[in-house]
Amino acid sequence: MAIATQPRGYVDRPRPSGLVDVIDVILDKGLVIDIYVRVALVGIELLTIDARIVIASVDTYLRFAEAVNRLDITEQGQAEGLPQLMESLTSGGSKSKTEGALEGVKEKIFGSDDDDDDDDDDGSSSRSSKRRSSSRSYGDGRSSSKKRARSGRSGGDNG
Amino acid sequence: MTNGGGALYVYGVMSAAERESLEVAGVEGAEVGTVEGHGLAALTSPVQGSALAAAREVRAHWRVLQEASESATVLPVRFGTVLEGEQAVRDHLLEPNAERLTELLDRLRGCVQLTVKGLYDEQALLAEVVTSTPSIAALRARLQSMPPQAAYYDRIRLGEMVAGEIARRREADTQHALQVLEPSARASCVENPSAAESAFDLSFLVPRGKQSAFGKRVRALVEEVEDRIDIRFVGPLPPYSFAEGNHEIGEA
Repeated sequence: MAIATQPRGYVDRPRPSGLVDVIDVILDKGLVIDIYVRVALVGIELLTIDARIVIASVDTYLRFAEAVNRLDITEQGQAEGLPQLMESLTSGGSKSKTEGALEGVKEKIFGSDDDDDDDDDDGSSSRSSKRRSSSRSYGDGRSSSKKRARSGRSGGDNG
Repeated sequence: MTNGGGALYVYGVMSAAERESLEVAGVEGAEVGTVEGHGLAALTSPVQGSALAAAREVRAHWRVLQEASESATVLPVRFGTVLEGEQAVRDHLLEPNAERLTELLDRLRGCVQLTVKGLYDEQALLAEVVTSTPSIAALRARLQSMPPQAAYYDRIRLGEMVAGEIARRREADTQHALQVLEPSARASCVENPSAAESAFDLSFLVPRGKQSAFGKRVRALVEEVEDRIDIRFVGPLPPYSFAEGNHEIGEA
């Protein structure tokens, strides 16, 4: 089989799924058990919306990390180029979008308890939490993340 | 292995004959067990908290189902489902649905879900829409020579025409992708577009043995459309999109 141009390696074979690729399927699909026999979980709906944002932002960080790693920065004296780049990447055009999510990540993943999350998400997400040691008001971040959650869900309700 | 009393988180349902113990930890780090009845086994684990932190637990939910479906056929239950206890799992899930679930498991046996998503490059898409639609190109040219506030309604009309053109392309690209991919699948499901730049989001039910044949079709599709659409091919997953049994499942 001839692989002509830049082979996109994974195409012949599905990628082992990253959670972000299947988050909508996981949250919106599956057997539904009669709502009356389910134990009422306070706020479960809100929490699932948060999950979409957190998962999506972790994926964004992973892509940044990957993109940064691929960059060919070899010249001396540019040792500090990487952090600067991360900074400019994250504070660029998508600033308002990522900030709310970022807070969400900290809240949900690093906030309450120690987690044994063993997969790839860990590396880059913990890195980003270290990087952003300054904390900002939760309220701001939250409102922007909600907005985003809605637009992300448009048309997908009750899927 | 069974769970004791107390609320149970439910991950999915499989044939009791296929169940095996899982290594992976469940929601809240709990050990995953099963509740069995009517030839079926529900994958469950005890829940302590009153609310689940979804961002963390959705990962646990996903991992449990991934591991359980490596060799067996598992019907995923919607994320966030908690029942009162073992008795409730038997009385409200397994018993009343035994016939339907058994039949569905038989139809899905040996199949996995593969997901194919297409994303437009927005800039390229818009440029193509403008250059290939004379009426849009003309209106755009006219508006560019006017101050923005002078042409408010015309700008809305331009945007509307562009949106219509994108919707037409999305529909055409969806149909084309289905046509290319469906021959290697037993069933397909068109998901709602999750983003504005989404070209299509398709789930397919594919027999395990046909995954490479399906992969070849995906590659053919990629080669055909890669200058316009970025394709992500993901799986294998348990049959989330086919677990409600409202899809026609044919031969493949």
